[in-house]
Amino acid sequence: MSIDPMWLSGKFPDLKGLGRIGRGGQKWVFGATHQTDGDIVLKLFHPLADPQRAFREVQAASEVQCPRVPRVHEIGNLTSPLGQLIWVREQRIRGEDLRARVTRGALDAKSLMRLALHTLEALVAAEKVRIVHRDVKPDNILQATDGSYWLLDFGLARHLDMDSLTATAAQYGVGTAGYTATEQYRNRKGEIDARADLFSLGVTLYECATGQNPFRVGTTDRMEMQKRIEDRPLQAIACQVDSQGQFKDLVLAMTRVRREQRLPTAAEALEWTREICSAEGVS
Amino acid sequence: MDMYLQLGHGMMGLCRELIGSWGRGCVILSPRDLNENQLETLSTDIRDAGGSVCLDPQFYIPHADHTRLVAHEYWPAEYESADFWSSPALTDFLTCLHGLRSRLQCVRTILPGVLATAADEAWFDKQGRVQVEAERVGIKVERAYATVALSADVVRTVNQVQDVLEEGRGWKVGGVYLVCEPPKGEYLVQDAMWLANVLELAAGFRLQGKRVIIGYCSHQMLAAACCSVKAVGSGTWLNVRSFTPTKFKVPDEEIKRKTTWYYCPQALSEYKLPTLDIAMVQGVLDEMAPPAELGSTYADILFEGVQPSTVTFGEAQAFRHYLQCLYSQSRAARRETFDETIGVQEQMLDDAERLLDRLHEVGVRGQFRDFKECIEGNRAALAVLRTQRGSMLRRRWTSL
Repeated sequence: MSIDPMWLSGKFPDLKGLGRIGRGGQKWVFGATHQTDGDIVLKLFHPLADPQRAFREVQAASEVQCPRVPRVHEIGNLTSPLGQLIWVREQRIRGEDLRARVTRGALDAKSLMRLALHTLEALVAAEKVRIVHRDVKPDNILQATDGSYWLLDFGLARHLDMDSLTATAAQYGVGTAGYTATEQYRNRKGEIDARADLFSLGVTLYECATGQNPFRVGTTDRMEMQKRIEDRPLQAIACQVDSQGQFKDLVLAMTRVRREQRLPTAAEALEWTREICSAEGVS
Repeated sequence: MDMYLQLGHGMMGLCRELIGSWGRGCVILSPRDLNENQLETLSTDIRDAGGSVCLDPQFYIPHADHTRLVAHEYWPAEYESADFWSSPALTDFLTCLHGLRSRLQCVRTILPGVLATAADEAWFDKQGRVQVEAERVGIKVERAYATVALSADVVRTVNQVQDVLEEGRGWKVGGVYLVCEPPKGEYLVQDAMWLANVLELAAGFRLQGKRVIIGYCSHQMLAAACCSVKAVGSGTWLNVRSFTPTKFKVPDEEIKRKTTWYYCPQALSEYKLPTLDIAMVQGVLDEMAPPAELGSTYADILFEGVQPSTVTFGEAQAFRHYLQCLYSQSRAARRETFDETIGVQEQMLDDAERLLDRLHEVGVRGQFRDFKECIEGNRAALAVLRTQRGSMLRRRWTSL
């Protein structure tokens, strides 16, 4: 089951050079150039995808107003030979996803600080509109060609003021094992807030600083990963990132197993990160 | 970190004297030990001497039948748990208590709180109702302290401690009066997890922006300086240096055994006078003399070359000495940074351990008030604090 780019071009006459650039679990992704918006990504949600979840993703990405989250230009519905599709046209950022980058080795200190700064800017914007991303990990962060970082894929985002789409009775919540905070993994919905994203970002930063995620290394078993998260909290990053040694404290404060011990808000994490970056001349 | 005088049996004169000598300080008044007239008289005296007072409502066990405690006007004549918390009785109770507090001119408001034998919804509900109702009767809740009184089992249980902190995040109160029952009624607690969780509670509430006073403390709680708590409360007899809920429940008991103990601050241990005789014979007594900087001259007579048990050093002097030393130790415990503060505590444990080893070698032991068996527990608790809360305490230290 696929979408023919030629057919699609006919439906979007204002897009030039439409070509497939990827396919996620629930959507097809095309790149193109828009007359006024420039480089764009066109995402089409699979007709079998849960329309409510698709709508939530688009809604979350639109509500989070931040220069570190690709801007949503337009949303619509389309009748295709495969059925009814939801589509979204958004800003395209050229670069490499962090997963590919970290596979080649750890990031240097300035890149690490910039990664923390930019991703936290996105998470603060999400926190302001009471959205939790719930899937922060290297795969969902893009390192742009100019060295900036962008938070992508709000496919699992949860609006804290709306009913959850995850079954309350489900034993396990959504997210990616090895990055997911305990309260999210164990589907304790009432306990999920921005601190869950801080945990995931902290693990991501640790991985980018050391080249590996200790919760995932050597295992593919989801239960084993979670057991490690709960039994073996992350230790301080051994390498020096900033001259004052604040960065390792920041990551520790983000990755405490118990959420009450973590930094309480993304805003406070960002404030701290800004101080570190300012002292080190990173923007 | 300050040390407040936790009022207990026979402490009125001592409070007047110590506050007078310090020219400042706070006394936590105990309705269990004083009637209303005595409370008012003592409050006046303390304030005249330059100090301040606050009142511990001691509503830990609402069914208490301690004669003097339940004779106070604010104490509910009848208590049915199902009705009390949602009835006018709670309003009356808080109004009356507020009136007493006003008459005593308390500088801080401690809201009543019952002892939690489980940190569950029922207990959280009571805490919430007290705060809501307190506001309705005109108490400035954002400046008040919520009593968080926890049983030993609750304090020992990591998840329950986290639940308390999580619930507390939503409270409007500006402070917490933390009261923790020790396991097995121990005076000095060897259980590292218990102490680690007391520190976790203190640090957690502080990092939520709430002021913290820990009540019913011994010198073991000097470690709380690492959490930037405002004060620890301590007093004379063990039942005000350690929280024993039963003392609020049953009628007064005579304090039967009156043994005089000398507090050796550098060993964090206390000794009976005959033990000091042994120390003298073994040539280590001088090492047990209090450092001059702690400002206690009350025990000097023990170190003047005469056999300690033969000199006049009674319990009153022993109490003065203990509280003067602890006051100075508390006020010196907090340093410029978190790392420096925890470093001082660790150094204090190292120094105490060295001295205790030497004393033990020559047969000088403090029995159940010897700190030797607690040193590892205190070290472990500090290590846990550094791991779990160090990064945040380090960052926010100057604003705490």
